[in-house]
Amino acid sequence: MKEKDKHSGFKTPEGYFEGLSDSLLDKLKEESTIIPKNEGFEVPEGYFEGLNQNILSNLKEEESKVIPLNPYRKYYFTAIAVAASLLLIIGLQWKKEELYTFDDLAASDIESYFEFNDYGMSSYEIAEIMPIDDIHIQDMMQNEIKDENIADYLNDNIDIFEDLNLENDEY
Amino acid sequence: MISEASLVDQLKDKDTQSHAFEVLINTYKVRLYWHIRRIVLNHDDTDDVLQNTFIKVFKNIDGFKGDSKLFSWMYRIATNEALSFLKAKSKKMGISNVELQTQIVDNLQADVYFEGEEIQLKLQKAIAALPDKQKLVFNMKYFEELKYEEISEILDTSVGALKASYHLASKKIEAFLKND
Repeated sequence: MKEKDKHSGFKTPEGYFEGLSDSLLDKLKEESTIIPKNEGFEVPEGYFEGLNQNILSNLKEEESKVIPLNPYRKYYFTAIAVAASLLLIIGLQWKKEELYTFDDLAASDIESYFEFNDYGMSSYEIAEIMPIDDIHIQDMMQNEIKDENIADYLNDNIDIFEDLNLENDEY
Repeated sequence: MISEASLVDQLKDKDTQSHAFEVLINTYKVRLYWHIRRIVLNHDDTDDVLQNTFIKVFKNIDGFKGDSKLFSWMYRIATNEALSFLKAKSKKMGISNVELQTQIVDNLQADVYFEGEEIQLKLQKAIAALPDKQKLVFNMKYFEELKYEEISEILDTSVGALKASYHLASKKIEAFLKND
């Protein structure tokens, strides 16, 4: 006799019995807990009904923007925006009629621009378009780091070996 | 109801994608809204993050390989978007992420879309004090009622570690609520 016939044709979802004890235990725990199930959050009336239209019109707006063929162009535009805004500020403050170039910007000005302005890209997104293979740690360092420097640093800055197990307290 | 695989095919096909996208929004908007709301807490911020999430899903659907479920992939995008949003906000305000979370919970009292009593406010304070991962696991299990296997695929963490995280988080929250 087939498995199906034994149960008059009824079936259970795959893995149902395996997960049953877990979900029963969770339910029991939830019933005895003092943690409330109601969080108190509310949603404006009609929000979900209007949401589709809002997303679709936002998407249309996004799509109507020109998509750069070269992803590095994003950086050119950012760089131009940085240069333009800083030149404007400098120009307004000093009222001099000198011409500035991108080279006149101090590296620290550019760094602080990136530090304090949200230019809409997360580090993940930057990582996606940056060719990481071509970058070496030395490209970002002014002085060469020797192995002995690293060993000295670890000796001076790590009190106990367990400090290295950073993930443990997360679980 | 349309199967996930054929929905993905329709989303990738230029002729059917706009209709499929509406189906996708209708299927997931409420669940993703609450998932994001529990991370960023405020309605307007949730709305921004939710819209960005759907736009990212639509723009990146060609890159979706089907290694995980569409549902898990979207939850992962929503989680990353919400966490990046908080990070950018704290950076803009020049405060730490923890300080920002405390500030957001404090602002809940004045929020027109928060109708909680003292116990709900205390609950949010307790959740805000948890490390990010415990917070996510607790919300996904206790409020969103996802299965450990589903959370495991979304957060890319083993079921065993998730159970331990959930247990720890519940104990900490209970202790916080009992403590006057």
